[in-house]
Amino acid sequence: MMADRRAAAHDAGITSGLGERGDERAMIVERPLVAVIDDDESVRESLPDLLRELGFAGLAFSSAEEFLASDCVHETKCLVLDILMPGGMSGPDLRQELTRRRQQIPTVFITANGDETVRQRLLAEGAVACLFKPFSETALLEAINSALGVS
Amino acid sequence: MTTPRVTLHDGWTGVPGVTGDDAAANPATTDPISILDTVDVPIVVLRRDGMLVGFNKAAGVLRLAPSDIGRACRDIALLAGLPGLEEHCGQVIASGIASRADFRDGEKWFVVRISPYTTGDRQVTGTVLTFTNVTAFRASIDQVIYERECTKAILNTVADPLVVLNADQRIQSGNRAFYAMFFQLASLRTQLTKLLAGGHGFQPVEVDHVFPGEGHRTLILDARPLSLPGHSERRVLVTFQDITARNQAAAPNDLRAIAERKEELWRSEAFLAEAQRLSLTGSFSWRVTTDEITWSAQLYRIFEFDQGMPVTLELIGTRVHPEDIPLLHDMIERARGAGTDFEYELRLQMPDQSIKYLHTVAHGTRDEDGRLEYIGAVQDVTARRLSEQALGKAQSELAHVARVTTLSTLTASIAHEVNQPLSGIITNASTCLRMLAADPPDVDGARETARRTIRDGNRASDVIARVRALFAKKESTTESVDLNEATREVIALSLSELQRNQVSLRAELVSDLPHVIGDRIQLQQVILNLLRNASDAMSGVDDRPRQLLIRTERDGGDRVRVTVRDAGVGIEPQALDKLFDAFYTTKSGGMGIGLSVSRSIVERHHGRLWVERNDGPGATFVFSIPGESLAAESERESPGKPVDTKV
Repeated sequence: MMADRRAAAHDAGITSGLGERGDERAMIVERPLVAVIDDDESVRESLPDLLRELGFAGLAFSSAEEFLASDCVHETKCLVLDILMPGGMSGPDLRQELTRRRQQIPTVFITANGDETVRQRLLAEGAVACLFKPFSETALLEAINSALGVS
Repeated sequence: MTTPRVTLHDGWTGVPGVTGDDAAANPATTDPISILDTVDVPIVVLRRDGMLVGFNKAAGVLRLAPSDIGRACRDIALLAGLPGLEEHCGQVIASGIASRADFRDGEKWFVVRISPYTTGDRQVTGTVLTFTNVTAFRASIDQVIYERECTKAILNTVADPLVVLNADQRIQSGNRAFYAMFFQLASLRTQLTKLLAGGHGFQPVEVDHVFPGEGHRTLILDARPLSLPGHSERRVLVTFQDITARNQAAAPNDLRAIAERKEELWRSEAFLAEAQRLSLTGSFSWRVTTDEITWSAQLYRIFEFDQGMPVTLELIGTRVHPEDIPLLHDMIERARGAGTDFEYELRLQMPDQSIKYLHTVAHGTRDEDGRLEYIGAVQDVTARRLSEQALGKAQSELAHVARVTTLSTLTASIAHEVNQPLSGIITNASTCLRMLAADPPDVDGARETARRTIRDGNRASDVIARVRALFAKKESTTESVDLNEATREVIALSLSELQRNQVSLRAELVSDLPHVIGDRIQLQQVILNLLRNASDAMSGVDDRPRQLLIRTERDGGDRVRVTVRDAGVGIEPQALDKLFDAFYTTKSGGMGIGLSVSRSIVERHHGRLWVERNDGPGATFVFSIPGESLAAESERESPGKPVDTKV
């Protein structure tokens, strides 16, 4: 499974992105890896494709634990992270864990619960953005670019 | 003393058949006077005209002297003392038949026999008077009479009734106490006989009696007929009122007292009738073997039949609501068979098409011959049923309020449920557009994302439908409900809220759960409410896992039990009994109608909702409702409302 993920990650962005898109994009050596962590399947299915269309390498995980267990943690340039996930670590929990491991990754939170106070708290804690589902591709692109430090 | 010899004139010629010539030859016939002298009984002979002709020696005790011979008897002192002697003699002479008379001479008593003196030619020429001394005999009779009177006097002074019975055990004689007592009782008996025969008047009987150990008591016996519905035989209620004290204390006015008591009785009877009228309760009796039915006046009023109209089961059937006719037949059948008490609720359809709800309770008894009879009460509970229906409507409105209240707190949860697929839709649509805009267009990719868009759209639509179903204001409906499925849907709706509260939910839904009959949405409302309460109870818990268990299982055969257990703050013992009261809440944001509405919903499903304290922290809420098969039964026995039936 992890091996597949790893292969998929390469396929999605780092190497095969070049091949897929043809020679005119050959100069794009490396697409930044954006990891999507959400328990909702439709998000996991749809977001990586959009990220790819937006020029990133997208990879989806169904839980924080699954992401931590993968070997993508170091390569991930941006986290698109659901706040609430059943049965395990929440989005903020994962951020705390990464901070503890000194592996902080710029994070864009996404949530289906439009709770403004939660958003304010997360931003105060250093999140790049907090998007309420459903969000537009523009909002997502802005947030990720912001996370990646692209002006 | 020499007995005087007399000459017999005119026929005094001797004993019949003896001639004067032969008298010397036979002393027994020639000297009858001498013979008579030997007789110890005074004998006096009178001539037809009343003249004394002769007497024997023994007649000396009568102080007759020889000089009296030839004198008229009325001139002789002794004979003059015999009243009506001459008439007596005249009758004897005329009839030829002997006669008797009593005669008293000083201390002596005689019985005088007056016999005709007949000559040989059958001519009655005089009378013979023989005097039998009965003085001693009379004295002994007097003595007996005296003794008897004395005994009577003694017996009559005895206070206890004494009675002498003959061989047939009939009363031969009794003393005064007996008659004093039983004369009253006899009149009592006569009156009671009249009452039992159908009469109404009763004259109160006063009885004085000395009771052993009690002393003298004055009792007033009164009686009135009891008319027992369905009993042809009459009974009489006899009252005994002890008025001894009142008699002693003041001048009694028994009749007024009796009149007052009669008035009281009449009033209590009237009171009962009035009570029946006011409580809209009629009574009846039903002899099952003969179908003889008796109704109280109020029952006629309830059925709106003319008073006194003969009641039959057919007649009752004409009033019973057509839909309840099978119920009536069922009731009759059961009553005929078992003979046990029954309780039913039936509807009547009156001629003006209005509906009446009747609650019937009957008690079965058997007489000594084993014949079954029911005595019962029928209450018109129409007003109650109508208000219950109104209450039910109010309750369903309240349930709706509760749902709406729930809705507001669930908004976030619902938004979450809807936003997830919406998010997918927008993302997919964006991707799709980009794929189509690429050069060359990624048509396959676009097709795939479009497909996902449709799927997510359907998913969002499902969520909306589910939410709308749960929160729509609907009259209650009845259907077969799979509580497992209903529970799963509620869990699906609640999951995100539970997640937000960091509650881990474990669902143990048994696979072979019987379906229940009821309102699916209302039951889901109960489950949702219990889950929310459980979740809220754990919101402040940080020292242990916020574990929530929901379990469905069979409960003793055909019932279904749903258990919701939390590890929350638990319930204070003093709060236990208030927990299900409306507007009781421990939550700052709650209205306190959730549990009360939940309980009423469960009870409408013939079930029960209760709370149990956990061994560990938290509380367990449980409800149990009958499965499909049981629900059908209880619905048949008490349409509309659960009634504890004893059938």
